[in-house]
Amino acid sequence: MIPARHIINEIVTSLREVIAPAIAEPYPKSQAYMAAVVLEFIARQVEERNDIETEKYTALMALLRDLSHQPELGPMIEADHLSEAGLCELIERLYSQREQLGEEVFASVNRRIRQALRALLDAELKVAGKAEG
Amino acid sequence: MPRVRDLALSDFVHSAGGWSHEIYLFYANWNEDGHARRQGFCLRKDPGAGLLRERSNLREQFLVIKALEATPVPSPKAYWYEEDPTLLGGPFFVMEKVEGEVPNPWSRAGKQFYADAARRGKLPRSFVEALASLHNLDWRTTGLDFLGVPGIGKGFVLREIAKWESLIYQSIRKPEPMLTELLMWLKANAPEAMRLAFVHGAYRTGNLIVKDDAIAAVIDWELQVIGDPMYDVAYVLSDLNREGSPLLSCIVERDFFLDYYQQLTGIAIDLEVCRYYDLLYAMRSTAFWLSASGLFAEGRNKDLRLARTTYSVPVVLNMAAKALGF
Repeated sequence: MIPARHIINEIVTSLREVIAPAIAEPYPKSQAYMAAVVLEFIARQVEERNDIETEKYTALMALLRDLSHQPELGPMIEADHLSEAGLCELIERLYSQREQLGEEVFASVNRRIRQALRALLDAELKVAGKAEG
Repeated sequence: MPRVRDLALSDFVHSAGGWSHEIYLFYANWNEDGHARRQGFCLRKDPGAGLLRERSNLREQFLVIKALEATPVPSPKAYWYEEDPTLLGGPFFVMEKVEGEVPNPWSRAGKQFYADAARRGKLPRSFVEALASLHNLDWRTTGLDFLGVPGIGKGFVLREIAKWESLIYQSIRKPEPMLTELLMWLKANAPEAMRLAFVHGAYRTGNLIVKDDAIAAVIDWELQVIGDPMYDVAYVLSDLNREGSPLLSCIVERDFFLDYYQQLTGIAIDLEVCRYYDLLYAMRSTAFWLSASGLFAEGRNKDLRLARTTYSVPVVLNMAAKALGF
């Protein structure tokens, strides 16, 4: 996701340079300019939340721990996979070696990976605002 | 226009719609052979940093609209295409301004408009008929094969996946494991197209001009391909296009759509294949939102609608995960 402060700063610019100048009536025009001023203060109050990254890291740790116990996957798992980029690579490798692994192992590992993907999505949905439950 | 005198442009409006191109509506007023004339036009201009990036092809759009003029597909007339960016700051083309309205299906007022029209019954029929007119088109005779004809079997699907995957890799700013899983699943489960048709690629309310409860024109010719007609059918069936409405695309009842489409085209709808395409659309939507939010984050496009799409990525991927059963 785009960092919150970046978006706020762009909204401030848009309010000042696009929206407010296009408003003819004095009251809504002053409201638009004031919204820009208030948002600048809000930008200083905002901190990116770190609980999401923590949750993601926990989910990835649990995934790698579980997968490392699968003997068929031994050489496939590397320390580099403890990141979202690493998980992408692991998923690609799993699909490319599907035949060698056999359908049963593939399905089992894919199921466990999808469980981790669910946890990663749920973490991101805390911000995107569509989380259920 | 050699016989035109006293040409003047008026009622100039910069439309708020469109993600890829700037859209301007205006009227031209002139005298011709002693008679006063007035006609509405629509100008589409490539801003250079739109949703599809360099995949946006205004010339192709112009040629498609031109080719459709002689067909039963309701579409605007295409007048001029200009490649030279020095005139308006980018390539552009001018087409007929089709009279009518394009209610936004995501707005409360738009949903109400379509719900009311659905009750009257004429617009849902017209919606299906316009789609059928696309799929019944002889695209070779019409000269639309310049769009590229995919190979038999999985050629169409794999080409679509490759197209949107390249946009993803061009735009992506951080790894998205769920998207990787979705891409790998799509490649591993690609269906074979049973037939090829001229496919709009985004057939839904919001991309259709409505007048007198009928489709006056199909617009937004940006994603058209020669491909599997189920690709359009799946888009109509998709939940992506009817948030909060029980009607497909906010306008047509599911059973009526399925029956009437098959009756008009003679094409049997394969719901399993449509479910696959719905997931492909989730991947394509993710590609769009990654591209849009990337353009904003890079400072190449200041449109705040693009910033909003950064929050759409996990939402669409969540829909895909649910469709895949997790």
